[in-house]
Amino acid sequence: MAKLFPKSHVIGFISSIVLTLLAMTVLVLDVSFASKMIILFITAILQASLQLFLFMHISESEDKKELYINIAYAAFVGIVTIVGSLLVMVWDM
Amino acid sequence: MKIDNSLPLEYSTEENRLKIFGFWVFLGAEIMIFATLFTVYAILEKRVGAGPIGADIFSLPGILAETFILLASSFTIGITVHAFRIGMTKAGINMLILTLVLGLAFVGIEVYEFFHYAHMGATFSASAFASSLLLTLGTHGAHVTFGLFWGIAILIQLKKQGLNAQTANKTFIFSLYWHFLDVVWIFIFSFVYLKGLM
Repeated sequence: MAKLFPKSHVIGFISSIVLTLLAMTVLVLDVSFASKMIILFITAILQASLQLFLFMHISESEDKKELYINIAYAAFVGIVTIVGSLLVMVWDM
Repeated sequence: MKIDNSLPLEYSTEENRLKIFGFWVFLGAEIMIFATLFTVYAILEKRVGAGPIGADIFSLPGILAETFILLASSFTIGITVHAFRIGMTKAGINMLILTLVLGLAFVGIEVYEFFHYAHMGATFSASAFASSLLLTLGTHGAHVTFGLFWGIAILIQLKKQGLNAQTANKTFIFSLYWHFLDVVWIFIFSFVYLKGLM
């Protein structure tokens, strides 16, 4: 059994549950909207990294440099799309 | 076909390595698809018209069930890949079946939620908020549903051919897809549901 469930995976799974519960504190915490969004960003990015590095084994393949560039580029385009659109259409800057 | 035995089975041939690389490129495109959907949702979130707002229709128990089910299925597919690497084929196949069962439960809850939203007045044409919400959730749900059929197809091949360089490669790529859907769900959970409820 211990062989089938390696420690790293079990810890990763527990961490993702803990991070989910941490994200949920925004529902009860009495802090500003901006602080709540920061909590959500941190927990979401940590969880995404957990999946990427632990479960998806991105660092294991020999062409990992290209994979990092590919994912970073996609994330960059995504962030520019989201933040750029919000800047113009919602935040009115 | 040159097989490199020093690498895990899914990486063991040049073709396998290229397929994995190609799938990562595809996931890059998927990131951009979901980024545009999140953009649309973030812009239209407040445009509810006469329809309900997010806090009216989101129900935490269903959302939490979906989240933990998807997290668990992401864990079990991770175990499948690990089990195949250490030669525990049978256990790996069982974990793959468990992953698909959890995926089916997720889709089931999501379908129920869509009926609930429609019942609360958040139909596709109710407001800009409702249509962008349903489009974002629906695109993710459609991916999971497609993943179920994909996973079943891989199960059949594992049953017929056993674990070899090809089926290990297909299972690994499927696991990448499944983990990616979990990542997308984390962002939906945080920036659609929790943001809507807070």
